[in-house]
Amino acid sequence: MSTDYALSKLFFDLQNPAAAAAYRADREAVLARYDLEPGVRRAVLADDVATLAPRVNPYLLRYYCTAAGMSDADFLAQIRRLG
Amino acid sequence: MAELVAVVAASHAPLLARDWDRFEAPLKTRVSAAYHQLGAHLAAARPDVILAIAPDHWTNFFLDNLPNACIGVGAVHGGPPEPFMAGFGHTSLAGDAAFGAHLVATALAAGFEPSVSHKLKLDHGFCLPLWRMELDPLPPIVPLVLNCLEPPMPSPARCAAWGRLLAQAIATYPGSARIAILASGGLSHSIGEPTMGAIDPAFDAACIAAFEAGGDEAVATFLEDALPAAGNGGHEVRTWAVAHAAAGGNGFRLVDSFPIPQVYVGCAWATWTPATKDGR
Repeated sequence: MSTDYALSKLFFDLQNPAAAAAYRADREAVLARYDLEPGVRRAVLADDVATLAPRVNPYLLRYYCTAAGMSDADFLAQIRRLG
Repeated sequence: MAELVAVVAASHAPLLARDWDRFEAPLKTRVSAAYHQLGAHLAAARPDVILAIAPDHWTNFFLDNLPNACIGVGAVHGGPPEPFMAGFGHTSLAGDAAFGAHLVATALAAGFEPSVSHKLKLDHGFCLPLWRMELDPLPPIVPLVLNCLEPPMPSPARCAAWGRLLAQAIATYPGSARIAILASGGLSHSIGEPTMGAIDPAFDAACIAAFEAGGDEAVATFLEDALPAAGNGGHEVRTWAVAHAAAGGNGFRLVDSFPIPQVYVGCAWATWTPATKDGR
């Protein structure tokens, strides 16, 4: 699967703590600024790591899940299920 | 002519900053001792400049512009932007514009085409070792950002060529500057992928054995074969391959190496004795 640029850009931008806080407060408002495919957008809103993982660099995925408020334990459980 | 006075390498990990206060005392003691040994080694070499090689963790570069290698030529670099690095205390770091420009010119003349930045932000890859080594004062830093995170990456053979180029640039730099090299990264680790947290002690041991054996071409061959199974974070060992070749593959000495599952990284710390100008 090829890299999803818009999704990657969202994850990249959310490294900024202020942007991450705004995202946690209102995901829909932030997502409206990114040209995400509908299925990818649904996966983001659902924290569907299995759908997101093949589309982005693993580091960006890790950063995103932290920025979105996911615990390390939850992220590890989700990502390891894909192995 | 400038002189290469020390070559060192260290692993880094965000959790060595973010979770430091949660770690048991023995772990903190062992990690601190390793970094301090490198710091003492560097301090004894009295470097005027540290040429630091590290990956960029999506700090300066993104998919719209992703250089394989970038040299920071600015007089000042930005400090680490990650909140967990606040304790480092440096919101900016001095650079060395003259040596940076010489390094770029040497690279271009030798058939390398690095990207150039006049204002890099140095993330934890650069700054975690600088922090934990407790260098005081911190010498000016000339950063070489090496892409170790997103394919395509520079081949291990190209990393070795970069190392030889760094040694050449130092040897041809006018003046009497004392220059040290710091490589930051690795060893095996896996971040954000299904094997996240996996550490491969066999790879780490083989990697160390390859550096101990000497030749930079053999190191490159080993890494070409072994890196695909060392986790995506293992690619950071490419920075070590640069340092190894810069030292002429000479005098590798392991300071410490052990897996640290708490930070998801097979960590190691090492020094080289750079080959002297007359080949000894």
